[in-house]
Amino acid sequence: MRARPWGWNPTGRRRWGILALWLGHAGWLLLGHGGSGRWQNALDLLSRPSQAISLKWQAWRHQRSLNLRNYETAVAEVQQLRARTEQLQMAAIAEAQSRGEAEGAMRLLELKKLVPLETRGARVVANLRHAPYGGLVLDQGEDAGLVPDQGVIVPEGVVGRIWSVSAQQASVLPLDAYNASTAVMLARSRATGVLQGVGPGKAEIRYIDRQEVVQVGEPVYTSGLDRVFPRGLLVGYVTAVRVRELELGLEVALAARFDRLHLVLLLPPKPPMQVQPPAGGRP
Amino acid sequence: MRKVEAAPNPLRHFLLTLVVIGAIHQSALWPSVQAILNTFLVLALAPEFRSPLVGAFWAAMAGWILEGTLRAYPHLGGTAFANLNMALLAAWTLSLWPPLTRKVALTRFAVLALIHGLLIHAFVRVACGPHPWGWAWLWPILTAPLWGWIGFKLHRPTHRR
Repeated sequence: MRARPWGWNPTGRRRWGILALWLGHAGWLLLGHGGSGRWQNALDLLSRPSQAISLKWQAWRHQRSLNLRNYETAVAEVQQLRARTEQLQMAAIAEAQSRGEAEGAMRLLELKKLVPLETRGARVVANLRHAPYGGLVLDQGEDAGLVPDQGVIVPEGVVGRIWSVSAQQASVLPLDAYNASTAVMLARSRATGVLQGVGPGKAEIRYIDRQEVVQVGEPVYTSGLDRVFPRGLLVGYVTAVRVRELELGLEVALAARFDRLHLVLLLPPKPPMQVQPPAGGRP
Repeated sequence: MRKVEAAPNPLRHFLLTLVVIGAIHQSALWPSVQAILNTFLVLALAPEFRSPLVGAFWAAMAGWILEGTLRAYPHLGGTAFANLNMALLAAWTLSLWPPLTRKVALTRFAVLALIHGLLIHAFVRVACGPHPWGWAWLWPILTAPLWGWIGFKLHRPTHRR
């Protein structure tokens, strides 16, 4: 078989093809500087799917970074708010006592407006009601012009009377003390009697005729006959009525909350038996 | 009796090359991945074709697609020419020294990947002048064990497949 010129057999053609490919590329590289815009545009058109995926991927990452930033900001804000809340709670605890005292003072001022007498305020510095011969100790004494048997009241009702006065302090005999006696009257029948303490927060009315009609829950006011309290100050409420041999036995729950006394109002010595309350309310 | 596996299926080889070409095109937004795929195609897939002309053609095509989608150079052709030369070089080394062990194959792939990277930059410089290198050339070398393992499966002598 005769050999073909220029090696034009399958192997030779392959070699010629490689040479042509190589020379074409080398020539393009060294000589040609033509534009490639159409080729790039065609490839861009085909790469739309990957571009869409990439856009979604970038958007997801951007959103995730935003969420992370928002979360970190929120956590920082929560920590600041928590610290601020703790500060406010501590401040509230510190101010609670002052606020309570201020509220008590305001209520006392309201009571002072309702009682048309020369009254003065005092602070309870010790509450010794549960001790033998104990009572309430006020922060004022002879230096403030206090004398025994001055009435002591709070917005809830009558507390008691001044028992003894020292130079700078005074002790109060509360209504529930066993040796305390106060002239009182019933709200409906206007029957008068004597209130005697029988225990913490409780008292008993003596000398009420057994013919009187008394209902449980009936208010009890001062009668003014003892010249310690004027007539009409709230003392408490009847909690039980017992008919005894000679008189009614009336148990009374005192209106004043003796365990929480802080500020009290002192009535003047020997006030008038009857005072006219100002318009707008009664003590 | 030891089972002798058949030679790689030309159709499967063709399809695999086509898939890698498509992956090069679609991974244009991640140049490092694109560089790895391009090197894999040039050094592992193209030399395996029975005809060096076909392998060179595929390698050059991969270069054109890579540069066309990369849009980094004003004048194209450098990568394609480097691919073409590297495919021929890899086919020639395969025919002269077929890899017998995996270690030899991976070492050769790593060296060829390094030469490939340098050749690309050299021809791109010829085509369009000085250009930034970046770090994409490093990834094919670092991932040589990964794609080289597939290449070793393809290039091993038939009696060891």
